[in-house]
Amino acid sequence: MSTEGAIADVDLFGLDPNASPLALYAPDRSRGDIYADAPAAVARKWDSFARAISASSGIEDYLRRHVEDLGLGYRLTGDEQERPWPLNPMPVIIGADEWQRLEDGLIQRAELLERVIADIYGPQRLVTDGHLPAPVVTGSRDFTRKMVGVPPPAGRYLHVYGVDLARGPTGEWRVLADRVRLSFGIGYALENRIALSRGTGSLLPSIGARRLADFFDAMRRGIASTCAREDPRIALLTPGRFNQAYPEQAHLARYLGFALVEGRDLLVQDSKLFVRTIAGLKRVDALWRWINARNLDPLAFDSRSEIGVPDLFSAWADGGLVTANWPGAGVIEARAMSAFLPRLAEVLFGEPLMLPNLSTWWCGQEWERDYVAANLDTLMVSSAFREPVEGLEDGRTRPGSGFTGAAREALLQAMARRPMDYTGQEVIRIGTTPCWTGAHFEPRGFTIRTFLARDEDGRWRMMPGGLARLSQAGELRTPLMGEGDLSADVCVVDEVPGANVAQAHTPSSPAIRRAAKILPSQAADNLFWLGRYSERAQMTARVVRALLSASSMQSAQQVSETVPDRLARLLARWGVIETAEGTPEELAAAALGDVERCGSLAGMVDNVRQIARLLRDRLFADSWRVINRPMPGFLPLDSDSMADAAERVMERFATLSGITAESMSRTAAWRFLDMGVRLERASLSLQATLEMVPGSASADDLTSLLDLFDCHYLYRNRYLAIPFIAPALDMVLLDPDQPRGLAFQVQQLADHIAALPTLRANGMPEPPMRAVRQIAARIAALDAEELDHDALEELLEQVLALSDAIAKRYFLQREPQAGRADKPSIQ
Amino acid sequence: MIYHVRHTSQVTYGTPVDLARFAIRLKPAPWRGQALLDYRMEVAPAPSRIVEGFGPFHVNSTLVSIDEPLEELTVTSEFRVELSPVAVPADDGMTVAETRAEALRVGELGDFAPAPYLFGSRIVALEPEIGRWAEPILDSGAGVLAAVKALCVEIHRAFAYEPGVTASDTPPIEAFRARHGVCQDFAHVMIAALRAHGIPAAYVSGYLRTEPPPGQPKLIGADAMHAWVNAWCGPAIGWVAIDPTNDRLADEDYVTVGMGRDYADIAPVDGVFVGSPVHEVATAVDVTPEGEDRGQGATAAA
Repeated sequence: MSTEGAIADVDLFGLDPNASPLALYAPDRSRGDIYADAPAAVARKWDSFARAISASSGIEDYLRRHVEDLGLGYRLTGDEQERPWPLNPMPVIIGADEWQRLEDGLIQRAELLERVIADIYGPQRLVTDGHLPAPVVTGSRDFTRKMVGVPPPAGRYLHVYGVDLARGPTGEWRVLADRVRLSFGIGYALENRIALSRGTGSLLPSIGARRLADFFDAMRRGIASTCAREDPRIALLTPGRFNQAYPEQAHLARYLGFALVEGRDLLVQDSKLFVRTIAGLKRVDALWRWINARNLDPLAFDSRSEIGVPDLFSAWADGGLVTANWPGAGVIEARAMSAFLPRLAEVLFGEPLMLPNLSTWWCGQEWERDYVAANLDTLMVSSAFREPVEGLEDGRTRPGSGFTGAAREALLQAMARRPMDYTGQEVIRIGTTPCWTGAHFEPRGFTIRTFLARDEDGRWRMMPGGLARLSQAGELRTPLMGEGDLSADVCVVDEVPGANVAQAHTPSSPAIRRAAKILPSQAADNLFWLGRYSERAQMTARVVRALLSASSMQSAQQVSETVPDRLARLLARWGVIETAEGTPEELAAAALGDVERCGSLAGMVDNVRQIARLLRDRLFADSWRVINRPMPGFLPLDSDSMADAAERVMERFATLSGITAESMSRTAAWRFLDMGVRLERASLSLQATLEMVPGSASADDLTSLLDLFDCHYLYRNRYLAIPFIAPALDMVLLDPDQPRGLAFQVQQLADHIAALPTLRANGMPEPPMRAVRQIAARIAALDAEELDHDALEELLEQVLALSDAIAKRYFLQREPQAGRADKPSIQ
Repeated sequence: MIYHVRHTSQVTYGTPVDLARFAIRLKPAPWRGQALLDYRMEVAPAPSRIVEGFGPFHVNSTLVSIDEPLEELTVTSEFRVELSPVAVPADDGMTVAETRAEALRVGELGDFAPAPYLFGSRIVALEPEIGRWAEPILDSGAGVLAAVKALCVEIHRAFAYEPGVTASDTPPIEAFRARHGVCQDFAHVMIAALRAHGIPAAYVSGYLRTEPPPGQPKLIGADAMHAWVNAWCGPAIGWVAIDPTNDRLADEDYVTVGMGRDYADIAPVDGVFVGSPVHEVATAVDVTPEGEDRGQGATAAA
């Protein structure tokens, strides 16, 4: 590359009186800077982007909002809460020529890795012929012995290949690490691009940034075309919501139209993989796994794994299950392996590696060990297989010069005892890129993670972009994002306008389909409970507000004293408060804020967030935003402040109901969410009646009950009198036209159940249908005068039996019932 | 010598198990100096599916599924095996350092190659602390065969055999620090010590004869499955089977079932039992030389 010329161009440009904000940008040129080294045509694109950023005020806030909308967050190990994702507005802009060289090198590398993996799990000739030492294979925890002799469909061990790259002082790129186990970062690269393009309007197209969509499309076609069935079902297997990368996985599944599943959603029968759905077992053709190989199958690998699928191995050995990437592929991620890749390229392809990796010396060989020991001061010392080893207890790479005195002695001794655990690596200086600080541009060291995937012909395609990590410290470390790091988009731009190769490929419109996606039983379960909890939270807020207002009216002697008592007992019945003893204000404070109690409003709001997290791939960003807000603050014992908090919670859930009713597509997912709401409302109406009308009731008690169900004004209009028990109960429970009343909920439940798939071929109703019909018949036949305590209890029992029938028929019937701490029993 | 082996394990669950899928690893794998004459396995209740398999290390693995609710599981493994003496090659003077270098050089990945047994495994993590303890014995200049035997002596001397103080997944470092445990812990500690010095070491499980020959003491571990160590002593000598629990080479009184990196690779029964933790395991093992009276079978509860 003509670095000389590039510098001259940029220098000339820097003298321009209308200079870009980058004119004042002063990187250390000896380190290499991607902007300073850029050819003139590419530098102009940097300049126009930089001008736009510095001209727009508050672009950071704007971007932050888009990042929040996407639900983008990340966690470092040990974090309880997600951190907001730090996205710098200035992308790393790379010209097409430079990118092409990377692409050529990385495609060669992907082919090489594929060949090496295929040999290790096949004939093992590289080992027997002496090109690859056996311990370099067995030292990796990802070497999955059981997979030897189990070839993947179409011979494709790899579908997705991720790679970390650094740019050095003279503009040369180097591979820092290969990633084939899990594709961490691929979703962030996509989301960064979405956030940046939403946040900067037409700026990205104006500099000719290539789109990422085609890459993801090619990847999906690549996986699909390997499957035996014509219209395959592809699932993304996640370790679950506690995984650091869960938000990324949920977003990817949604974007790609893959079913997001956990191990317990899946089942192997006769070597075929199935997902448990509300419509029975459905075949799964391909898995994109986000679980390490050893945890994928507790029978074949580590029996302690609780996130895998028992006997998944037979689906690979005999069932033709496509898996991206094939279990065991991770064996090539070892640092020790990088030491051999240059030689293996010569052996397998008869050509050198086009793109070098970090020069690496594996100490399992005598000459190499002596070299590393003798040159410790100028090398990095690392763990050959990324495991903690003596001297490198955290498994991280350290400069050899950092070992002095006794520490050096100990390291050298450990290296003599177990030389195969160590590698030496060259020290490289990583180049810089302009980073927007809010006021100006500053040089920051950066690395890039990008991805390659096979298309339907098995050819490797490279993502025209990636995820840049801008480091504060200039250090190279393994985690995706470290403390204080920033991320940035990577834009590949064509230097000559119009030469945009991305447009050469015109994707054809997909076949039109409606609601073809399956609903896994577990998702149905979570949707149902999300509905129940939302409704319970909303109703609790209503009762708290009613309690506070009854209390203030009572002190003015405007309301019967039984009202606050009964409302308090209702809260206690629901487990919102421990006891009904205390002043209404004390009780309200406990009901709102006792986070220790999962039944309190704060606990419920948190519970709703937890469950919504499991449904991240199914909820709208708008719903997610509403749900994700924490419990509003309030001043304990201050009536107004507490009433205000309760009202805000009510409003929030009303907004959520509105979004659900207006925007959620009428799929089975919507039905389960709504069924949860309906069932909870039915149950609450009966419980509220039992507490507010325990045999006798004053007009005030009845008014309060009618208020809770939005029937008070209607009652006044209809009867033009103070409330009496029978007409009030008729309105709340039996009148099929009251949208908050019991009869209406039961009718809605019956409609939902009728619309859901049945497993019976003989046309007979399933248990949930029979249960709901029984309730409907009972309500239709009841006279409000007959609604005594026993009749109410009996109805309540029937409603709860319906809930059980729904759970039994549609949800997973494995032990999670017992282990589900996040769904405490509510009735 | 022909031995008749009968091994019965009875697992009782607190509440019925909904779904049981597990691997049984009780059928002896092919082994030098050992010929399996017949074999029979019985699982009660009758499984819905049985799939015979081998590996991933040197072990037979039978995959069993039981679909009906399970309260009690009984596995019986019964076979006759003929053992013939295998000579331990004479010490060829190979040092620890030379063995370490040779182990890295062997270009094989098979079940008996050294490379698979060089690194930390699921239960036997690499522990520098154990490595330092064994340092005087496994000195780089020491002869490897003598050093392996000396290590065996030292473990036998320094560790107390105490059933019930450790479990099947106790990390060797715990047993090491407490200087106690059962055959499995002894084997794991020895493996950890050897690997810490770059000597490949494997975990071997099998049986000892229940009643000793006349005039000899009964060996520890004869009442249940036993475990010992295979240490790799260079390309000429190869694997040397040695028993730190009884401080002796594993000779023709040892019936081998399989070999892996540690217990987890060749656990007799493991898998997925959904719904209930194991309540109780009772194991009865009976190993009799053919022609002698069958004993009543010793019973051990774990």
